[in-house]
Amino acid sequence: MDGPHTSGPSTGAAFQPLVDALLVGDHKLLAAVAQRLIEQGCSREQVVTDGLEHAMGLLDDKCTVESFNLLEIMLVGRAVSSVVRVLYPDGYAPTQGRATFVIATLEGDVHDLGKNIVRMVLAGKGFRVVDLGRDCPVDDLVGAAQREGAVAVLVSGLISPVVSQVRKLRPALRACGLAHVPVVAGGAALKQLRPEALDVDYVAENAFDGAHYLERHVSGAPAA
Amino acid sequence: MTTLAVRAGGALHRLAYDPAAGLSLRAILEPTDFRVRTACLGLGACGLCRVRVLAGEVGVPTAVERAQLEDPLLAGGVRLACQCRPVGEVEIEVLSLAPPTSWRIPPGGPGAIGPLRWKADPAPPHAQPRPLGVAVDLGTSHISVAVIDLAGARPLALRVGANPQRAHGADVMTRLVVAGDPDQAHALASLARAAVGEALGEIARSEGIDLRRVRQVLVVGNTAMLSLLADRNHQRLLEPASWSLPLDCAPLETASWGREWGLAPEASIEVVAPLAGFVGSDLLAGVVAERMPDLRPPALLIDFGTNSEIALWTGDTLWVTATAGGPAFEASAGHDCIPAEAGAVVRVREGDAGAFEYDIVAGDEPRGLCGSGLVDLLACLLRQGRLGPRGRFSDGSERLEFAVNGRVLGLGWREVDALQRAKAAIGAGMKVLCGCAGVEPHALQRVLVAGLFGSHLDLDNAATIGLLPRLPEGRLALVGNSALAGACALLLCADARRMLERARACVRFVNLGRMAAFDEAFVDHLYLEPMSSAS
Repeated sequence: MDGPHTSGPSTGAAFQPLVDALLVGDHKLLAAVAQRLIEQGCSREQVVTDGLEHAMGLLDDKCTVESFNLLEIMLVGRAVSSVVRVLYPDGYAPTQGRATFVIATLEGDVHDLGKNIVRMVLAGKGFRVVDLGRDCPVDDLVGAAQREGAVAVLVSGLISPVVSQVRKLRPALRACGLAHVPVVAGGAALKQLRPEALDVDYVAENAFDGAHYLERHVSGAPAA
Repeated sequence: MTTLAVRAGGALHRLAYDPAAGLSLRAILEPTDFRVRTACLGLGACGLCRVRVLAGEVGVPTAVERAQLEDPLLAGGVRLACQCRPVGEVEIEVLSLAPPTSWRIPPGGPGAIGPLRWKADPAPPHAQPRPLGVAVDLGTSHISVAVIDLAGARPLALRVGANPQRAHGADVMTRLVVAGDPDQAHALASLARAAVGEALGEIARSEGIDLRRVRQVLVVGNTAMLSLLADRNHQRLLEPASWSLPLDCAPLETASWGREWGLAPEASIEVVAPLAGFVGSDLLAGVVAERMPDLRPPALLIDFGTNSEIALWTGDTLWVTATAGGPAFEASAGHDCIPAEAGAVVRVREGDAGAFEYDIVAGDEPRGLCGSGLVDLLACLLRQGRLGPRGRFSDGSERLEFAVNGRVLGLGWREVDALQRAKAAIGAGMKVLCGCAGVEPHALQRVLVAGLFGSHLDLDNAATIGLLPRLPEGRLALVGNSALAGACALLLCADARRMLERARACVRFVNLGRMAAFDEAFVDHLYLEPMSSAS
């Protein structure tokens, strides 16, 4: 557990119930625990960094997404969303999250389970994720990246026909002066291909792998 | 159950059979791996199906047997399998095994199609020979082919085999992507056509049926399979914008199909048009087979398969949708999961002291669990507390093993996960469809379960794991291959055809991909627990 913060009951022990509730995916309990911590004087940032991020770290260390069944992944995701709703009932403001990403399943693909998992993992790590949903036109995604000040654009694709859409992303970003914003791809169809074939910066093996890449990118570490 | 001991190919096998069913030895042996060689419909005409009765009672030789078999043979216990009906513990030797085939006859023979709830239109007077019809249900994983006597409204032969397109992708989406290459699309169409021809060829040989008597062939199936068969418009199914539109799957020509299948030039071949999106004519055929518009609403039909389809009849509207069931209930979910064919564990029960008892279909050597056996096993494990509702084994193990007749069958958490996903897709699909129609799932007057579970599914266990709602006695029914039964009905009479067109006219299509409620319902239905009355 990270060192205690300055105010409130911010010791590791205080956050243990939150970590436990997240690990079993109990979203109602988790929301209640988060609410109690806030009432006891914890800051929202502490709940994210000492609670959510720590728990996600445990999940990440113990195993990868592959060792979970789908229900467990969805439960953790739902639990993270419930805490985020308690902490930020009006949604993350651009300055509240660590950094902002935009994410979507592109036009032609309505399978967005994988995208939702990535969103939840990143939210659990304290990032602000703007989700454009599924069947999203490339221009909408690029527009959102510009508007929200995104530091990376994430796309998920389950079916192969969406590949042609992914290839349109970088030229569209460049046209908007966002050539410096990296594109990360993932999902069953896309992870069969190399980054060059998709014209993206990184192809993530799974949600946590993608999150690691983004952590490195945000912290300015070499991306490889 | 009584034992029929069978000596075949140098080995002794023990089959369980029910003497009360009054089946002939030929009918008992047909779904097994030791089918006896035949070339007629079982009337004793070919005289090929010879067995030697070594012990037990099978009735006195019939007139046909006395004509086909010389006295010394009869004295030596040789009989025709189609003429004898065993009545107790019996041991036989199969003298001539049928050649190996990938086209199996389901237990129950042609009767496995289920009751035909339609009468045949009157045949033209003195029609000789009697005209035949061929019904084909083209499924993602399996193809079923039936030959029926059009005048007698009687199924004569039935075969079920794997769709050979499976080698190019187990699921619908992968296969459609492969078909993006015109050469591959052509190859996929040829594979499906050749498979139907193979099944027909085998029926012609084993049942002695002259395919030149076939007057009409009717093909039903899901939209993707029909478009791949016709090699038309399949790439449009990859565009979500077209998912709520009708898709033209009518073949441009069928004369070459008829030649390939050995039919007379005047035989007609028709692909029944699908509805919209991934909802095919197999579902429509099922609606006709079960005469859903005549049922008290609301009534639901679920056609379980790799592409599962659901129809909800509300009295004036037929709500339909398709959902990715995935192949979890069938082959390829795990290496110990197989279709309901010879050697499949179709039922699992808790015996004394919590030990499991198993029913193996058409054989004594277990090869794996089929869908109904898997549902039973999960329900038993849940009741015993060895499996949690989240799909994890309580003792923390990755895999449980079970000894069945000396063979070890395994069940891993990944297979359970695959089944949870399939169950959730169907459960959420059902809930969202009911929601669209304003119907409370527990108010359903009738729930008809068609497709791959055949007649084996235990409805109580299905409710225990949340695969189906728990409804009062008599409201849930297993209806077998309703798509094939519907295709037979459409071959038989114009009234069935009229019901099909009426049903088509009052369809409302629901695209689950565009329903926000689906995602939330999907997570709820991932749990292995009875559907809540609120859900």
